[in-house]
Amino acid sequence: MKNDKKLNELLISWENTYKKGQLTLWIFMALQESKKYVDEIKGFIEKKSNGTISCEEQSLYRALRKYEHIDVLTYDLKEGNKGPDRKYYYLTNLGQELFNQFANRNIKLFYSTEIKNILKL
Amino acid sequence: MKTITQYLLRFALTIIVLTIIFRYFLSYGIENHSTIIIILSAVIYFLSMFVSGWYFGKKDGEYLPIFDVGFRFHLTTYLIHNAISLLWIGLGLGSKYEKLSLSIMIAIYWGIFIIVHFIFYLWARKNSIDNLDKEDLFE
Repeated sequence: MKNDKKLNELLISWENTYKKGQLTLWIFMALQESKKYVDEIKGFIEKKSNGTISCEEQSLYRALRKYEHIDVLTYDLKEGNKGPDRKYYYLTNLGQELFNQFANRNIKLFYSTEIKNILKL
Repeated sequence: MKTITQYLLRFALTIIVLTIIFRYFLSYGIENHSTIIIILSAVIYFLSMFVSGWYFGKKDGEYLPIFDVGFRFHLTTYLIHNAISLLWIGLGLGSKYEKLSLSIMIAIYWGIFIIVHFIFYLWARKNSIDNLDKEDLFE
């Protein structure tokens, strides 16, 4: 019982550290799939991560502004159902290249047979 | 320019108003030899400028965390304060006891601090990409 509690605390601690830095990857994956506006990006992240990545709207807006500022993504304005036009974000060429190289260097290695065997997948 | 954000512009507008009010009361105090008005206007001006910088700086950082070690806000304050002061006295709106040369000296001495701050800003830019801190770029 005591070990279960400790295991749970350790898991949460590790996950909290692990998840830092994950938001960028999930935003890029959302936009790799298709152009999206903020609510769609949020929905994508929450659904595809099985709710493991919580995505505060304010953090998302802040991240999008930063990535727009460094020219890795941009947007088209399209009419929404009501209210102001929606910003549909998409990756720029620089963003696309950044995403490809990041995935190649950091994600693809998990798909090697050797690592899969270690992970017992 | 991307580094001129909406909060920097709001800050600029606020300090234009504050500086004009300050200049009016300062000149009034000097003209009437009122130490209390001079001290009060300077203290209130300092506090209101500090609060404005703190408030808009915080908002600006939340909007887009530009890594400039406060240089944009400092430069804005320098340009607005000195432009209004020089124009105020230059156009004859100040007290007859106020000398333009004193305002010029303030602009020059303050300018030295601006240059030092600019050097720190250039140093900070080494740790940034497009003015955003490399360490804080990807969350």
